[in-house]
Amino acid sequence: MQTIPVKLGFTVAAVSLALTACLPSEKQDAKVNINKNPFPSTYKALPQQNTLFTNATVLTGSGQRFDNADVLIVDGKITQLGVDIIAEDVLTINSQGKWLTPGIIDVHSHLGVYPSPSVESHADGNEITAPNTAEVWAEHSVWPQDPGFQAARAGGITTLQILPGSANLFGGRGVTLRNVPSETMQGMKFTDAPYGLKMACGENPKRIYGSRKQQPSTRMGNVAGYRAAWAAATEYKRAWDKYNSDYAAGKNSQAPTRDLELDTLMGVLDGEILVHNHCYKAEEMAVMIDLGKEFNYDSGTFHHGVEAYKIADKLAENANCVAMWPDWWGFKMEAYDMVEENVAIVDAVKNSCAIVHSDSDTTIQRLNQEAAKVMYRANENGFSLKPENAIKWITFNAAKSLGISDTTGSLAAGKNADVVLWNGNPFSVYAQAEQVFIDGAKVYDRHDEKYQAKSDFLLGQE
Amino acid sequence: MKFKQLAQLVELAQLTKVVSFNTVTLAVTIILSLTCLTHAVQAKTIAITNATVYTVASQGILSQATVIIENDIITAINPEQVNADETIDANGRILTPGLIGSMNVLGLVEVAAVAKTLDGSDKKAGISFDASLAFNPKSTLIAYSRKGGITSNIVAPGGGEDLFAGQTFAVNLSGNFSSIIAKKNAVLVYLGAKSKGSRAQRLQALDHSFADLQKKLNKKASKEVKQTANKDENPVKELKRDEKVIKALLSGEKPLLAYADRATDLLALLALKQKYSLDLVLVSASDAVLIADEIAAADVPVIMSAIDNLPSSFDSLHGDLSNMSVLVNAGVKVILAPKGDSHNINQLRFDAGIAVANGLAKTEALSTLTANVADVFKLNSGRIAVGKNADLVLWSADPFELSTKVDLMWISGKQVSTQSRQDALRNRYTSQGDMPKAYSK
Repeated sequence: MQTIPVKLGFTVAAVSLALTACLPSEKQDAKVNINKNPFPSTYKALPQQNTLFTNATVLTGSGQRFDNADVLIVDGKITQLGVDIIAEDVLTINSQGKWLTPGIIDVHSHLGVYPSPSVESHADGNEITAPNTAEVWAEHSVWPQDPGFQAARAGGITTLQILPGSANLFGGRGVTLRNVPSETMQGMKFTDAPYGLKMACGENPKRIYGSRKQQPSTRMGNVAGYRAAWAAATEYKRAWDKYNSDYAAGKNSQAPTRDLELDTLMGVLDGEILVHNHCYKAEEMAVMIDLGKEFNYDSGTFHHGVEAYKIADKLAENANCVAMWPDWWGFKMEAYDMVEENVAIVDAVKNSCAIVHSDSDTTIQRLNQEAAKVMYRANENGFSLKPENAIKWITFNAAKSLGISDTTGSLAAGKNADVVLWNGNPFSVYAQAEQVFIDGAKVYDRHDEKYQAKSDFLLGQE
Repeated sequence: MKFKQLAQLVELAQLTKVVSFNTVTLAVTIILSLTCLTHAVQAKTIAITNATVYTVASQGILSQATVIIENDIITAINPEQVNADETIDANGRILTPGLIGSMNVLGLVEVAAVAKTLDGSDKKAGISFDASLAFNPKSTLIAYSRKGGITSNIVAPGGGEDLFAGQTFAVNLSGNFSSIIAKKNAVLVYLGAKSKGSRAQRLQALDHSFADLQKKLNKKASKEVKQTANKDENPVKELKRDEKVIKALLSGEKPLLAYADRATDLLALLALKQKYSLDLVLVSASDAVLIADEIAAADVPVIMSAIDNLPSSFDSLHGDLSNMSVLVNAGVKVILAPKGDSHNINQLRFDAGIAVANGLAKTEALSTLTANVADVFKLNSGRIAVGKNADLVLWSADPFELSTKVDLMWISGKQVSTQSRQDALRNRYTSQGDMPKAYSK
């Protein structure tokens, strides 16, 4: 061992004494960290093929249309969009007469959690046992063998968010999936997509818990429930922030006790988890916007906003996305005031983010036609929407709502090659997706059985 | 024409204040009596000219055709001379029979989750249940449904605890208090998988209810013979109300609409049809595609959805968007009706379009929403032919296409609007003004 000279030894002692004065004398325990990604994605693109689509009618998803255009896909990315693109060692698909759009994205699906067949043992979509179940994660209920995934893929769906149901004020976390066949949920999970938090306004929570003689039984009970939860989450976040800053300062402070419910809400307060709020009515959306401001979080995307047209300005001003059906109505009071131009009215405001969603294992197969209905009905009543506008509702705006618009949702150089080749104008009742690509890999081909996946469940059924 | 002249006279009388009170009174009296007279002697005639007419009848598709409506009836197609009170130039657009919805609770439901607006089901509902007594022609669903070119509809109640769920009725979508076309025109039974118990029980109960009544009818008949021979016999008891309905089924007077999906259930029903000479109609029938030839041979119509392609239960593992086309090509008479929904039945034509995209011929698809429904429910509509009810739709283009809308439509010869509460809401919220929207009406 090296002998320390006396003079130096004195100096070290002095420094040590000085440090003791401003740092904790106790030894720090190991840092307690919350693992924010305990079920990481294992998704890998299917076998990719560099592909050149030629002479297609291209809708970019971000508002543009190009006729007789070429699109080049290399190594899973879109590398070029233009005319007369020349590329070597690529598969060329003559797309004359066909339309090319970004992969379709559904922000509201229950595939896998309410799968087909809808038997009791598959009803895994809603933990209705308490008004706040922010601790549950839809991904833990996903059955990847749901045949609905294949049917949706045949309709051009490349990405979809799986949400818990709407019984609760806080239903739990949603997960964004790539629509590829896999034996595991992780194998479908969209790499690095933020989690969603499902919240619900209105009739469902008050009916379900009210009928059990517990709060909430009214809309004001709903709001009290959200506020109590956000107040608790604010305290929880403060405790963690304090622990983290104390620890960074060298203190051996005690980590707060983990609370899975509050972990999720804290994720929202930290801006890491995006709010997806089932909320039909104008006055309720307005309250939810204020609630976000009260607790300093982004009120996110309103789902099923049947009355969004009544407050379109407010929604755009506050930068909320709104996901809507074209025409579903009347199943509940809160869905009574439907207008067929809802999406168009929301979309018409500057800085808006209008989305067409399905919430259905049937209409997810034709989200293009759902958007089409909005466009045509609106155009009959004073709007002048074009296919390049309407496609945005099921591509770019949907990607924006899910926090993945930097990688998908539009056809632009550098983006993931999530692409659908349609047999014609996708806004026709006769439209069909012919080929579907995810990350440049063909995952569906209407004319080639080799690219038509089949669920284990349907295998061998007579 | 007389009508227009009279109308002008009324307007003149009302607008010009120069005429004395007495003159006006006199004029109105004359006009009123003339109007009554005119109604009695001369029908109002409408000519739709230059139309592409999908007759869904023997004449097929007619180009540049003229259809004449008098009062509520189609009285001529391509007459040599056109002499009408009102002429509408279709300008080549497509004219079809009005579409006919079926197997929903239109007019029996306003808001599905508001219990007091639900009149389609009742615990006590049995084979005699006649929900037409509850039909509300002023329901907001009716006008909205007209947007889909639907002029009439078969309403099917959900029933109660009994084996039989009651009877269907036919309505038009005029929104008038006189909308009901036919009451109690078919009997409903729901079969197939059950959450509790066995599917066999219901099939057996159905068989027994026919067998029991058959026995009773035979007994009754022999008793009646005896009674005629010997006056001393006790008088034959009249059939009970429910028994009369089963008798109507056994005589084929009323169709039996049987909901079932699995092939075994469908085959069991075909056997019952054979055994009791029923006028059987299969509804839902997911597995029908597996036994299409048997169904066609038995001449049994199938009412089905065009878009239920997922294996939603173990009774329906063979769903495919092409199923409707497979059945039609096998010779089955198919009616298109989506499952359950009543609020969005105006989408029927789009469902037909989806069936076309998956192999069904367009004319066949149109039949599934018109003539086939009329045939099964014995309605005098569903075709454009002389003597048929004048339920007609003039479309802006291809009726099945998403971009197409109803330009004009007639129910029983009367032009009806496609405006609904939804339009009023849209107009309100797209209007501009300083005052709150509540002032915009």
